[in-house]
Amino acid sequence: MEDSENSFDGIQELDNSIPRWITYLFVVTVFAAVIYFVHFHVFFQGKLQEAEYEAAISQFQKTKSVSNFDENNFSLLSDNESLEKGKELFVEKTCASCHGNLGEGNAIGPNLADNSWIHGGKPTQVFKTIKYGFQEKGMPAFNSQMSDNQALMVVSYILLKIKGSNPANAKPPQGVQE
Amino acid sequence: MENQFVNYDNRIVKYFTFATLFWAGIGLLVGVIIASQLAIPSLNLGISFTSFGRMRPVHTNAVIFAFLGNAIFAGIYYSMQRLLKTRMFSDKLSYFHFWGWQSIIVGVAISLLMGFTTSKEYAEAEFPLDVAITIVWLAFGWNMIGTILIRKVQHLYVAIWFYIATMITVGVLHIFNSLEIPVSFFKSYSVYAGVQDALVQWWYGHNAVAFILTTPFLGLMYYFLPKAAEQPVYSYRLSIMHFWSLIFLYIWTGPHHLLYQALPDWVQSLGIAFSIMLLAPSWGGMVNGFLTLNGAWHKVKENPILKFFVVGITCYGMTTLEGPTLSLKTVNAVAHFTDWTIAHAHVGALGWNGFLTFAMLYWLIPKIFNTQLFSKKLANIHFWVGTIAILTYVIPLYWASLEQSKMWKAFNEEGFLANPIFFSSVLKILPAYYIRIIGGILYLAGFILMLYNFVKTISVGKIFENEKVEISVSQNWKNNENGHKWLESRPVQFVILTLIVILIGGMVQIIPMIVVKSNIPTISSVKPYSPLELEGRDIYIQEGCSNCHSQMIRPFRDETERYGEYSKSGEFVFDHPFLWGSKRTGPDLAREGVISGEIYKPNSWHFNHLIKPTNVVKGSIMPDYPFLAENIVDFSATISKLKAMKKLGVPYSDEFIEKSKEDMEKQAGKLVENLKNSGINVAKNTEIVALIAYLQRLGTDIFVKTDSVSVKK
Ligand code: HEC
Ligand code: HEC
Repeated sequence: MEDSENSFDGIQELDNSIPRWITYLFVVTVFAAVIYFVHFHVFFQGKLQEAEYEAAISQFQKTKSVSNFDENNFSLLSDNESLEKGKELFVEKTCASCHGNLGEGNAIGPNLADNSWIHGGKPTQVFKTIKYGFQEKGMPAFNSQMSDNQALMVVSYILLKIKGSNPANAKPPQGVQE
Repeated sequence: MENQFVNYDNRIVKYFTFATLFWAGIGLLVGVIIASQLAIPSLNLGISFTSFGRMRPVHTNAVIFAFLGNAIFAGIYYSMQRLLKTRMFSDKLSYFHFWGWQSIIVGVAISLLMGFTTSKEYAEAEFPLDVAITIVWLAFGWNMIGTILIRKVQHLYVAIWFYIATMITVGVLHIFNSLEIPVSFFKSYSVYAGVQDALVQWWYGHNAVAFILTTPFLGLMYYFLPKAAEQPVYSYRLSIMHFWSLIFLYIWTGPHHLLYQALPDWVQSLGIAFSIMLLAPSWGGMVNGFLTLNGAWHKVKENPILKFFVVGITCYGMTTLEGPTLSLKTVNAVAHFTDWTIAHAHVGALGWNGFLTFAMLYWLIPKIFNTQLFSKKLANIHFWVGTIAILTYVIPLYWASLEQSKMWKAFNEEGFLANPIFFSSVLKILPAYYIRIIGGILYLAGFILMLYNFVKTISVGKIFENEKVEISVSQNWKNNENGHKWLESRPVQFVILTLIVILIGGMVQIIPMIVVKSNIPTISSVKPYSPLELEGRDIYIQEGCSNCHSQMIRPFRDETERYGEYSKSGEFVFDHPFLWGSKRTGPDLAREGVISGEIYKPNSWHFNHLIKPTNVVKGSIMPDYPFLAENIVDFSATISKLKAMKKLGVPYSDEFIEKSKEDMEKQAGKLVENLKNSGINVAKNTEIVALIAYLQRLGTDIFVKTDSVSVKK
């Protein structure tokens, strides 16, 4: 158990020089770090997070509201492909979680299969209910989640397929019978 | 030179070693359980104690403080006595430390399962336990310094430097992050609010990684690696350089946990800059470890202990490269809030900390039991099983992270989010969650092999609890040294210098955030929570919702499209503690209550969802919370909560506090009425009502019009 000058509990400690590359790595990272900080906070160059966000938003062309029909006057889509798409969207966009898988209604949202409507059952009315929502009453606005064309497919699916389908466990009608 | 006898205390080492093994088993097992809960939510069992939000902190605390904490103490108590050629300063303190630490762990585990939590990550323990931790830590520090002062060698070996830095820094971090004012015995509020709280928390959180998972393990490496390899340490100079640069730089890097969040840019940039500079100092330790094996690589082939060291140190090198990489804003934008964080943490914890601990134990246990390891072959198998386990754990999570992030950020050609439903991204990565469980089970299996190996080893070994050893002591210490050698023989100066070095970074970042008002621009429409909402917030904390949900929308187009206007620092000024979260297993909830917002849900939706999420979201992996509709809120505590908040500067008037009961009745009454319209009957004083009230308040304040300021949507 002899411990000499540079030995601790028998552990020898050599004094090799520090490998060059690690010293260089340190110097380079210190430079990089200083340049980074100075660039943003001394010379005020470069975009910080808010500016970056503004730039991303302004670059982005809003194509969302573009639709090839007039929302006050349109006819429903009756082709199978659109109706099938509408059915998919009904689940995908979570309508089903508040209105039941078959539109029968549940504890959250009203029955969409009957003939009674709280906000009107005309295609243009249903379209606007979906697009702009009745948020205070719990029906979200979907204009930021779906294009108008998609909304049209959903409206078509509701009015041509769900309405009058007499699903099981239907929620009692609400609103005005039409 | 003179020969003397010294009695090393091996019993305390044995105690800490056994505690390490015991808690490793618990920590890993809970890890496997919570990993399984994420894939198979029915394992939450629908009761509060076993649900993910409460179990996850038990896992992290058990692994960090119980498994790895005890391992550190075992290694320190063994090596320090020998490096300083003296028994520990005080046996009383040693055993007080041991039993104190174990009781704290039991206390923390039970209290977390009961829902007593501060919600601050890795510092979840509530007030009385925080005090106990402080006392036990001081006892440890006292014992350590005492031992150093009665040492029989002149110079402190590099391992001791790392132990000193650990002891000092963890103490400082713990005390400042835990400043809180108690409301009742097991409920307190952080004295810091919102942005300040976040900054202090991650100053703590990141440096818990630094000073519990890094510095002590480097110290252990500097002792046990040369011992096990019977090789000299490669470079004394390198150890000086990387020690001081590491402890100085580490402290500054906390803000990299808050990039693109509601933290002033200058603090974020400091966090980034220092993270970049940290690479070389971290690698210094790795390089010194590997070069110590110079010329001994043939030994690695035969010796499972060295294999554990090699993979452990490799994982250290990988995590410390990954750390600075994740601190780059572009990478962070993709990786943060995803499973990348989890993968990163597990390369560190399973690879570096776990393997280093195993290496140490395989060397240490036969040593103190005066025997050979029962089976080298089993140790080799453990090594391979463990290595495969780590890969099986992390690779799927890296994939999941990239995949999920891609889905979150994707837009379709019409300019809509390609995946507007958050949960579809969870479904996509679910297979990774299943594979990860296998990784966890393998790691646990390897550990059990080790346990068996130790039981067999110990059964034939015999421990000398007081090991009598003859040492040679030099009487004439040199006092004409200078530079670092001078410092190495002056522990008091060493401790003071360490303290100064580790305080600088934190002070530069935190003090301006508290003192300089302009760092957190106020928003006049932001108002304190109503009493009911405050109670709801405490339920959110109690159930650990923030383990799966963030409340921090970053300024990215995909996030503002998905969740709504990005979060502003001024919105959190009344949030004691902050609840920004660090992982999005579920969607962000910062704007959950904004009626005209992207993600608004009616009360009835929340009710049905909380009771059983699969009611409304098919296949949801969120736990069921049916008990929330039965548990009653203890409104008798509300007044003291409001008073505590008032003390912290939240502007509740006395009059308001007095009338809080009526206010609560009114708000709960309205909510219950609204639920009744949807056919849901629930009592006014249930937890679920308060929680829904809180959810509906989230993020709404900045849209309220006031005379002075209007905030654009
Ligand atoms: C978060 C729950 C929720 C979601 C998701 C939801 N709805 Fe609704 N919806 C409601 C509620 C609640 C009402 C009733 C509003 C009222 O009472 O005024 C409603 C009303 C409606 C109405 C009007 C019914 C009437 O009687 O006038 C239509 C149509 C409708 N929703 C369609 C949809 C479609 C299509 C989707 C999916 C794109 C959808 N909803 C998604 C909750 C929801
Ligand atoms: C195991 C992780 C986990 C925990 C713990 C958890 N959640 Fe969730 N949460 C999820 C996931 C995943 C989703 C998305 C699927 C869904 O809506 O059920 C979600 C969705 C939600 C949503 C719907 C958000 C939206 O707008 O779509 C709310 C609200 C919510 N959680 C609240 C809570 C509350 C409150 C708690 C605590 C009582 C909690 N969660 C605990 C995982 C979790």
